[in-house]
Amino acid sequence: MNPAILTDITKCIGCRECVAACKVVNDTQADSPRRWSLDDGLSSDNWTSIVEREGEFVRKQCRHCLEPACVSACPVAALHVTEIGTVVYDSDKCLGCRYCMMACAYGIPRYDWDKAVPYVRKCILCHDRLMDGQQPACTEVCPTQATIFGNRDELIAEAKKRIAADPDKYDNHVWGEHEVGGTRILYLVPKNFDLSFMTYGQKLGEKALPQVTAPAMHAVPFAFLGMGGLMAGVHWIVKRRIELSKTDQDASKEEGGEHEQGA
Amino acid sequence: MNRVRNLKLVLWMLAGFGFAVGLTRFFFGLGATTNLGDGVPWGLWIGFDVMSGVALAGGGFVMTAIVYIFGREEYHPIVRPAVLTAFLGYVAVIFGLLFDLGLPWNIWHMIVFWNPHSPLFEVGWCVMLYTTVLLLEFSPVPMESSSAWAKIRATLIKIRIPLVITGIALSTLHQSSLGTLFMIMPYRVPVLWYSPILPILFFISAIGLGMLMVTFESHFTSYFYRRKPEIHLLKNLAGWSRWVLLLYLSVRIGDLAVRGQLDALTAQGWRTVWFWVEIVMMVGAPLVFFSVPKLRISRTGQWTGATLGVSGIVLNRINVGGFVHLDRGAGIYLPSFAELAITLAVVATLALIFLFFLERFHVWEERPVDPNAKPEALPEFDYASMVSLGAPSVASRYTRSLAFILAAALGFALLSDDVLTSKGFESNPVRAARGGDTLWVDGNRDNYGVAFPHSQHVKFVEEILTPGIEITDRENGGVSFASETEVPQYHDKAAICSQCHHMNLPGDQASGCYECHSDMYNISDSFGHDWHSETAGAGLSCFTCHQTGMAKNAESAKQCNECHDDLVPAYAAIEVEQYLAPGYTDAMHGMCQNCHKIHAEEVEKADLGRCTTCHTGQTREVIKRDQLNRWSNVPNNDITTFSSVR
Repeated sequence: MNPAILTDITKCIGCRECVAACKVVNDTQADSPRRWSLDDGLSSDNWTSIVEREGEFVRKQCRHCLEPACVSACPVAALHVTEIGTVVYDSDKCLGCRYCMMACAYGIPRYDWDKAVPYVRKCILCHDRLMDGQQPACTEVCPTQATIFGNRDELIAEAKKRIAADPDKYDNHVWGEHEVGGTRILYLVPKNFDLSFMTYGQKLGEKALPQVTAPAMHAVPFAFLGMGGLMAGVHWIVKRRIELSKTDQDASKEEGGEHEQGA
Repeated sequence: MNRVRNLKLVLWMLAGFGFAVGLTRFFFGLGATTNLGDGVPWGLWIGFDVMSGVALAGGGFVMTAIVYIFGREEYHPIVRPAVLTAFLGYVAVIFGLLFDLGLPWNIWHMIVFWNPHSPLFEVGWCVMLYTTVLLLEFSPVPMESSSAWAKIRATLIKIRIPLVITGIALSTLHQSSLGTLFMIMPYRVPVLWYSPILPILFFISAIGLGMLMVTFESHFTSYFYRRKPEIHLLKNLAGWSRWVLLLYLSVRIGDLAVRGQLDALTAQGWRTVWFWVEIVMMVGAPLVFFSVPKLRISRTGQWTGATLGVSGIVLNRINVGGFVHLDRGAGIYLPSFAELAITLAVVATLALIFLFFLERFHVWEERPVDPNAKPEALPEFDYASMVSLGAPSVASRYTRSLAFILAAALGFALLSDDVLTSKGFESNPVRAARGGDTLWVDGNRDNYGVAFPHSQHVKFVEEILTPGIEITDRENGGVSFASETEVPQYHDKAAICSQCHHMNLPGDQASGCYECHSDMYNISDSFGHDWHSETAGAGLSCFTCHQTGMAKNAESAKQCNECHDDLVPAYAAIEVEQYLAPGYTDAMHGMCQNCHKIHAEEVEKADLGRCTTCHTGQTREVIKRDQLNRWSNVPNNDITTFSSVR
């Protein structure tokens, strides 16, 4: 299926129809900034938001990475990639460690900080609607087609077409095509537009984050057996040396004893 | 022996205080009690309770390795306290984690739902397994006290070597995996702390810390029980720890050099300073104190060096755990009062258990005398209450219970009700209008916009809709109402303004409701039940509002607007369905876009986001891009008409 969303920042008029539609479809509550919120409008009840920067409107939502950091971080596999590629959350499994929130390079997952039984919340790319053959609510309602749904490869081609048609308007880069291994949410960015507010201020590399931890995780069995074997070996050698020195001592004692006897 | 008694009293108080605060954390949630947030999902509880707790427990695997693997039997006197510290350290980790986890009752999920890719999954399993190993390693000590356990004890001692080896291997794994946890955050952890070899750095520092922690713990307990610490053994440990930490420093700096990040050592602002504070404490202090022979064999020298070193490594774990992370507007995180109280309570509880084991069992070669176990001592008398408290052991039980309860009461008292129930909504003062008279609305931002001349609209309202009233006081830059005494007029004017303004602050794109209605999320009793039922008030009988034969509650009562039919002004543009205030988006879209959509249908799906689709008579190119969607002062003669809306 390879679903994806292409958001053309230059076309967004900031009407927030997508935000409203998301709330209706996902049945989330009205929300306003809290003490623990970031200033990007996302929260456990706002799964998508519009951020205004430099006169542009940028829609934020979960990027649905091809190799998501949150999925690889989750110790109980509550966050997982579905067979159609969406990144969804199983609240029954979650234990609330919030490692997913730490791991996400975009800082997307949000938490029910005000609840005694809190869950992690984020955009699920309207997974159920996709399974029903519909498109996500946000792209369906967008009045200006600033955010559109489609096949990822086709959307990348479309994005490149738009860049080629108007190279002065767009940055020559489809944001999300390769970032952290590629994401399903793609952005067309106006020329010279600073996107650093979308991450922790650093430019994202192309390596998928799970692959950064993978070497360390692969080393685990070897570290366990290696250290165990090393310790067993050292123990054996040390024990043997102590035994040897003991028999030496005994032998010398015996010798000494014989000598005494002899004397 | 007053030292131990006073220490215990303080520990009981800390435990009581944290108990009270800990309860509220479970009832009101993490947001109400902590300073954690979407920008800082992990705080003190992960950095200290979990990450430092595991590191501080490093003494266990280091000491068992020295004694049982490397055969240095002379260190046997400090193995038992080290293993006990490690075991209780891990119990503290699990205990502390129960407060931090959002859904702590699901902690067992790691056993059934597997994700082997997750470093946290590995850490979780190692903690479970190693805590079991430590329990088995330590349990021969309490088992000495009864012959009933002799057989099990003998078996445990027989399998000691495999246990020790498993313990060391498990420690290796998860001391290092705590570093692996942060490898997935290259864009979040600053270069001075991030490294692709974080696991190795964590492991090396855990070995050093293990040695320092044994030294620290020995001096700490020796002070309170007035015994001699094992200075002759500790001086060697301290000496070794110095080399381990020096190795750590060279690997850490070497790693920065290999990655070409050495300039970060001088040029990262407060983080650089903080980095050097950390290094001076964790490597510098042990290096100085344990290299000078005189200091190394002195009690003060060992104690100071170890304390500074231990604090330095704790600081490192807290830093990597989140304190120094790059933030996206969340600001610097400082733990809340509740986070500190709970952390202290966890430490205090485990310290009390530690002291219990010290006094009950042969953790040391010679058991310290329980300061209360003096049957010959005279009963204690409390002069304040003129009550005999009984034998010292009984008396101290009373005082400790009292300390616990009083501290718990203080904990409850200090928790602010406002904070606990506020749900985190901050009061949002109403912002002033941003000046300027004409708004250029360039919805689709193709540089063709529609002018909205505010003054002309105001004039229209003043002269045509409600002749003879003055709405705005431009001189003072805000809305003014002609006379507050003319109440009906005041209401009219407010209503007229709000027909347009009940959407956005001027010049704003999307003002939240709360920006003007700053108290809308505050819990308030909007319906004064007492006033309605009192004779001196409205004097209504129960059944004026409630239906007969039904439980008298909000559901069975009339809606407000059934009596107060003037609550929704006739001219309100927002349809109120259930007499709940509509959310901002509903209000906004009800006001503008619903109509826009209808028009769009009429004109066969014209681009409804394009303002000029409908506003045909008013378009003109906006020269300065800065003015888009902004109020600006445009000379009135520039604006011809605004009546050409199709």
